[in-house]
Amino acid sequence: MRWVWLGVTVLSSTVGDLVSAKGMIAHGELEHFRPGRMARLLRYIGTNPHVITGIAFNALSFFSFLALLSVAELSFAVPATAVSYILKTALSHWYLGENVSARRWLGAACVAVGVYLIAF
Amino acid sequence: MRPAGHRFRNEIFIALLVVTNTLGNLFVAIGMDAMPEFRPGQLVSYSIRVLTNAWFVSGIALMMVWMVAQLSMFTWADLSYVLPMTASSYAFTAILGKFFLNERISPERWAGIALISFGVILVAETPAWTHSAPPPEEEP
Repeated sequence: MRWVWLGVTVLSSTVGDLVSAKGMIAHGELEHFRPGRMARLLRYIGTNPHVITGIAFNALSFFSFLALLSVAELSFAVPATAVSYILKTALSHWYLGENVSARRWLGAACVAVGVYLIAF
Repeated sequence: MRPAGHRFRNEIFIALLVVTNTLGNLFVAIGMDAMPEFRPGQLVSYSIRVLTNAWFVSGIALMMVWMVAQLSMFTWADLSYVLPMTASSYAFTAILGKFFLNERISPERWAGIALISFGVILVAETPAWTHSAPPPEEEP
């Protein structure tokens, strides 16, 4: 069962981050943070289909991670979710068109291995 | 050309994401720790107890700030830049645990902290925005 919850956690968090980033890229660069601008930003977040879908998948990931913790130790759950860094880095090139340089790949890989080690 | 006010925008937002994510998770965990075991028959009374728990509610509030701040950052920074940078919260959590909870940090854990820090430094040296087009202009 823990592998099922792990799969749901990793996949839904990956889809959630990619799709919400897609929606926010279409918004355009946020230039300042005055209250009226922030209100418009919140309205965009609450109405953009990509962002809403992304948040829903991230919520699913949050709850399936709680479910994962109820059937597995933290030392299983945290290292296993480290794989999502690799997935998200690869897909951010393919789905979002980001230029993931060798240096960034190496950095993301170090972070993933580091997160794997830190749960011991 | 970016306005001068944006010079430390990435640093400020990474710090904000790390702090709200770390404390949000911690507060929710403290709040849930104080709860009795969940029984399906007591859904309503259980929900009321959770939603009136100050730790839980402030943790959720921090998580909402975290979510909006992260979404804002996606408008000018790559997903593959933001995610590894904010993973430094794993290292901070481990170090905070050592100083405030006297948790022992095993050699594997130190290696993990070192690797995460090295990875964050590598990613920090890459440009935050790599899309071929600059971020689209905002409507006035």
